[in-house]
Amino acid sequence: MNRGGITGVLLLVAALGAAALGNDYQIYILGVAATSALVGAGLNVMLGLTGQLSLGHAGFLALGAYLPTILASRLSIGYGSASLLGMLLTGLVGACLSIPALRVRGPYLAMVTIAFGFVVEQGIADWKDLTGGWNGLSGIGTPEPFGKPLSPRALTLLEVGLAFAAVPAFAWLRQSRLGLLMRATRNSEVAARSIGVDLVLVRALAFGLSAAVTGLAGALLASSTSFISPESFPFFLSITFVLIVLIGGEGHPLGPILGSCIVVLLPELFSGLAEYRLLFFGVLLFVVLRLLPHGLAGLITASSRSAGGSEASANPGHPADPADTADARDADSRAAVWLRPPLPSGLVCRALDKRFGGNRALEGVSINIPPGEITALIGPNGAGKTTFINLVCGFYSADGGSIDFGAAGLGPAAMHQRARAGIVRTFQTTQLFDDLSVLENVRAALTQGRITRREPVDGAGLARALLREVGYRGPVDIPAGALPHVDRRLVELARALAARPRVLLLDEPGAGLSRSEKVVLVKVLTDIAQHGIAVFLIEHDMRVVMSASSTVYVLDGGRPLAQGTPAAVADDARVKQAYLGTSDPVHTSRRRDQGAAGRVSVPQLLSIDGVAASYGAIGVIQGVSIQMCAGSVTAILGANGAGKSTLMKTLSGLLPHTAGAILFHGKSLAGTAAFERARRGLVLVPEGRQIFPDMSVVDNLRLGATARGGITAADLERLLARFPRLVPLRDRPAGLLSGGEQQMLALGRGIAAGPQLLLLDEPTLGLAPAVALELFAALEDLAQAGLSLLIADQMSHLVLPLADDIHIMSQGKITAHLPGAQGVDPDRLERAYFDRL
Amino acid sequence: MSHASYAIRIRTLGVAIAACLLTPLAMAQDIKVGLVAALTGQSAQSGEAITRGLTIAIDQINARGGLLGRKVVLVRRDDESSPPKGVAAARELISSEKVSAVFGGIDTPVSLAIVPIANQSKMPFISVWAAGTGITVNGANPNYVFRVSAQDDLVDVALIRYASTRFGARKPGLVLVNNAWGESNDKGLRAAAAAAKVELAGVEKIEMNDVDVTPQLARLRSAGADTLILVANAAPGAQMMKSRERMGWKVPVVSHWGISGGRFDELVGATAGDAHFVQTYSFFATPNETGKMVMAELMSRYGVKGPADVMAPVGTANAYDAMRLLGLAIERARSTDGDMIRKAMEDLDQYAGLIKTYKRPFSPTDHEGLAPEDYVMVQYDGPRIVPVK
Amino acid sequence: MDFAAFGSALVTGAGLGCMYGLVALGYYVTYATSRTVNFAQGVPLMLGAVLVFAFGNHLHWPAWAAMLVAVAICAAFGMLVERTAVRPFVKRGSESWLMATIAVGLIIENLVLFTFGRDPRGLRSPLTDIGFDLGGLRITALQVLIPLAGLAITAVLSWVVRSSRLGRELRAVAQNPATAQLMAIDPSRIISLSYAVSGAFAGVAGILIAPLYTVSAGMGTMFGIKAFAAAILGGIGGAWSVMLGGIALGLAEALIVAWVGSTYAQLIAFVLVIVVLAVRPIGLFGRAVALKV
Repeated sequence: MNRGGITGVLLLVAALGAAALGNDYQIYILGVAATSALVGAGLNVMLGLTGQLSLGHAGFLALGAYLPTILASRLSIGYGSASLLGMLLTGLVGACLSIPALRVRGPYLAMVTIAFGFVVEQGIADWKDLTGGWNGLSGIGTPEPFGKPLSPRALTLLEVGLAFAAVPAFAWLRQSRLGLLMRATRNSEVAARSIGVDLVLVRALAFGLSAAVTGLAGALLASSTSFISPESFPFFLSITFVLIVLIGGEGHPLGPILGSCIVVLLPELFSGLAEYRLLFFGVLLFVVLRLLPHGLAGLITASSRSAGGSEASANPGHPADPADTADARDADSRAAVWLRPPLPSGLVCRALDKRFGGNRALEGVSINIPPGEITALIGPNGAGKTTFINLVCGFYSADGGSIDFGAAGLGPAAMHQRARAGIVRTFQTTQLFDDLSVLENVRAALTQGRITRREPVDGAGLARALLREVGYRGPVDIPAGALPHVDRRLVELARALAARPRVLLLDEPGAGLSRSEKVVLVKVLTDIAQHGIAVFLIEHDMRVVMSASSTVYVLDGGRPLAQGTPAAVADDARVKQAYLGTSDPVHTSRRRDQGAAGRVSVPQLLSIDGVAASYGAIGVIQGVSIQMCAGSVTAILGANGAGKSTLMKTLSGLLPHTAGAILFHGKSLAGTAAFERARRGLVLVPEGRQIFPDMSVVDNLRLGATARGGITAADLERLLARFPRLVPLRDRPAGLLSGGEQQMLALGRGIAAGPQLLLLDEPTLGLAPAVALELFAALEDLAQAGLSLLIADQMSHLVLPLADDIHIMSQGKITAHLPGAQGVDPDRLERAYFDRL
Repeated sequence: MSHASYAIRIRTLGVAIAACLLTPLAMAQDIKVGLVAALTGQSAQSGEAITRGLTIAIDQINARGGLLGRKVVLVRRDDESSPPKGVAAARELISSEKVSAVFGGIDTPVSLAIVPIANQSKMPFISVWAAGTGITVNGANPNYVFRVSAQDDLVDVALIRYASTRFGARKPGLVLVNNAWGESNDKGLRAAAAAAKVELAGVEKIEMNDVDVTPQLARLRSAGADTLILVANAAPGAQMMKSRERMGWKVPVVSHWGISGGRFDELVGATAGDAHFVQTYSFFATPNETGKMVMAELMSRYGVKGPADVMAPVGTANAYDAMRLLGLAIERARSTDGDMIRKAMEDLDQYAGLIKTYKRPFSPTDHEGLAPEDYVMVQYDGPRIVPVK
Repeated sequence: MDFAAFGSALVTGAGLGCMYGLVALGYYVTYATSRTVNFAQGVPLMLGAVLVFAFGNHLHWPAWAAMLVAVAICAAFGMLVERTAVRPFVKRGSESWLMATIAVGLIIENLVLFTFGRDPRGLRSPLTDIGFDLGGLRITALQVLIPLAGLAITAVLSWVVRSSRLGRELRAVAQNPATAQLMAIDPSRIISLSYAVSGAFAGVAGILIAPLYTVSAGMGTMFGIKAFAAAILGGIGGAWSVMLGGIALGLAEALIVAWVGSTYAQLIAFVLVIVVLAVRPIGLFGRAVALKV
């Protein structure tokens, strides 16, 4: 038995002993503590599983406390049966409250629950005939399980018993199908919906269950106190319950019991403090919250937690499954059976329209996605590709057009209903359930989000088989949040397959994968299609599109541009014009000719010496050493997960380095915060652009200039002029810009800072090739003007002509340093250093 | 988390806990009396006033050798104005502290919640402030609950009568604080009005923390109210008076005693004197011997500068008399047994107290120490509470 | 209900609403920069009033000095709350800051209870002695000042956030604190500043409200909750929406009392909050943001 279990048993023995031997007061307090723990268990379902904060549980407690007495007298039934009836009704009220609560998040949800608490308190006070109003109800009954009412001592024993019974019950719920889905909705609502989870139902169940348990606690508490009035259930009581859960340890089965000990029992020891007790209570709460981040349960399970953590971080790339055993092959064939749709059907979209405000995002788009084939959609950034997937999967509703799926049209079905019908998607930015293990992520989808349906026999084996099917070879028991990028893509794909799709919609599945990984991906997708699934993908990499798909559709500006076989589309002049931007994609270097001799006299700008850092469990870099002169361009190349971004974050100061030294202009940067580095002229253009979406283009540029204390209007105009694309968009919110425009803006923002050294992290990620070319042309100009650049990227054929120095990064280390770029053959370099992975 | 820092955290908690356990402990042979009252929160002043009255009485008793040769000790518990907290505190005092009697505070709901426990455990429970009728009239026999305070139903009759005799009110409007106390008087005032054949213009509620109650008063004015009967504590009562003043409505105000629980005069300003209200005792009236002594104690112990500085005077006065009466009962019973004390309380002779000279204050059927004759109508004159002219 | 009662309810409600709005602005500024709030926002409100009372009535400072120092202390208190009860929790990705701010509030409230005293006090202001009559209702100068101050602060805040350099930095931190750092902005400084501003707003609100209300340790609690409701009702996305949320709540409360009486007023007000949020989850004046995945 683990430490948590031992603690639980010890507490149970102590509580039962106290209940059996204590005086009136002690058993009363014990009863209050036990019922509070029971409320905590109910609240833990919301706080700990679905992640919803309720500040209105005193309201549920009040309902549970009043209903039995009212029901018992109106229906002439015993208090015990009335309590159970009251519990059901309270649960029903909770489920109903979840409907307004479902639509709101965070502080809005808190407000709804606060308001609910006040409504109940005032409602009881105002409904005098039924509740006795402010003067309350006395003479409250007692459950009579054996025909006669329980004695106070027996009642306390019952309360203690129920509070402790809630511990294994909660533990069971947490790992049950419902609990799994609850935790999934907490991590990513949209991903949960994409595998068929009915958010309304799951949330309503969590709310209802939480309320019902609280209602039962209310019935018992009322019986123990024998007097209730609206003032028994003030707002502060709701806060107390949240404290019980937080202090005990949110999401931990034993948490409410431990929390109740601190919040209810401990203050009783200090009742002698009289008026100073609340002050003391405040101090105690503050101290516990500060000192015990995971609550008391976290303290008790601390040793096992850290053990689990180190195991999780141990070499995630290592294959944990026994290699191809007979069992595994068995499982693989099960995966094949699972993936073959009983009734393959494709999807026919006709003339789809979608508007946002005045913007036409999609107009007259007709796409046919037949079963057993791979259909691809390409187009420049902002062409409406993701909008199309959002329409098909039900995330958006269409403003016009029809979607035929099998025999029936889809109508305005909700996203989870479409997922259950077999339309399953993945996301451009991977949406995994980060707190769930890899295996749980996949298993969550096995019942298409249905709570009542049983998982197929040996769901774990099937989930493993599906993971193997998509090429995932990592450990399956670590939290998905700890996975590197590539594995996240694979697990998301496996999860989508687990939902048994008939139509699989993939949003840029190849983004961020190396060329060899993309080859594997194409193979996997082809296999999936062969099972009779209709596969649809959005992709930028033409090589993937060419080798995988049978039909390609092209969108531009929300309108269909072309369609046909990959070869036909690739030859289409309009496509080349729109998508590639130029008929001659070969980059011609206009690199300034700067002799080696010229560089010797140039002072050292940046010196990285043996630097180590880590970003979560992944992205660990070690012993990285790079030297850079002023005015030079250095490239760091490597596949995703090689540690490039970690290095860039470390250099910019967003991440502290744990070993080695970083010297900028000869001065150490240790302990220098990111904003101070920016002021010194070390400026990062971060991965994924990270522009400020709600601010205009001009305001974004102005913000960039903060580092040098602002920018004059004339300088701003000069800066804008560098990026002709941005000039007409100057007052538009940056969030409405296309990906390429955003990248230009991010670059401009970096230049606005007046950098001594500009760091660029994956500047081409997610850009159409034509846009990437344009971007590198701009970088070229900057380099010509003498700006030092440090570029981390994978698209080597663009970077190479520009770079004076090339460092190859792999597995967190610099594996090669190639001075000078002119002599390096890009293809050879790429083969040598990327495809090895 | 390293073991060292873990140990430090535990130690910090431990020190904090130990510091709190070292509160003074009473000797086993002492006679303990308990107080369950609001010591924090909005009504904290009432708990302090009661504490002062009890402490002065207890010190006086102890100076004369205590009761039955034993020292009397006061054990106080904060109920935070919450019935469940009050129940826990009362149970603790009864079961763990083994007190001989419990005094109750200002909150009627808390006292109502304690009543069944007191009767169950045969514990004398004396309300020295809460006026809710159901506290003493609780149907238990024998009844262990006594009161040395006003009783709402009786006060309500007095208020209606005063409104019609003094102001000729024919259509009074009620302004009640939205809590148990307001509700208790809602019932009482309606009944009293019906009995006196007076029609009510309307009943409006005000919140403890209302800033502006003009809309409520405007409703009463439209309904033709010719007097306002106010049941509220000092702060909300003052908000009502300020709204009334701003409306320029010169309507007479007759009030329950709640407004005396704070600095009503300071809160309201010039029109504070417009409210005539009921008291069980006024430190401004010509004091009797006990009154002089208690005032002197208040001045020397608590830095009270004079009658104007006595906050929530009824709490102190009622508590003082109640403790003295309890002392007499314990002496008479020659025991601290609850049942014996109850019988002795119901059979007390005469006691020259602070509020009045009590003659057979309680009987088996009447547990009210004070009667309507003991109520005085007063008003503010600056900071002084003086009998109405 | 006659016209006079309706008119006075409008005036009362608008005044009350501006007070809610003013306090609610304190929630808005910190929420905007850090997605956190001092949940015990009633405490700096109370501190403002209590300190002005103490400085003025006990230490006999001139009113301007008392107010200035009180607001400064409220601002410092805001920063203290952020430093001790918010930042440590945010740093470890915990949402317990909400509870921690409540704990700090509880501590301060009880400390004030023991130092300032238990009974509510009345704060005099010359501004309540002058005024004018409006349809039989006397409007004091202070009652005019509060909405004016509320609207002025809202306007200034709105301008600062929208158009000034500080506002740009503030919005940058709000939208993406990590990237804001890359723009040479120190997010902790901005967040700390926003908490100072938040504390100061609450202090100003407390000082303005005190003469109309009563000064006590517990005076801020209900105001804090109502103001939170106002902020949420308005949709916590902008200074004006928060202020309008406050006015809407104040008007609703007063009009419910005027129409249906005070018995069910509280009940109806809170039911309305739930209904509004159920119908418009982004608040009355919030701006819908198209979700993207």
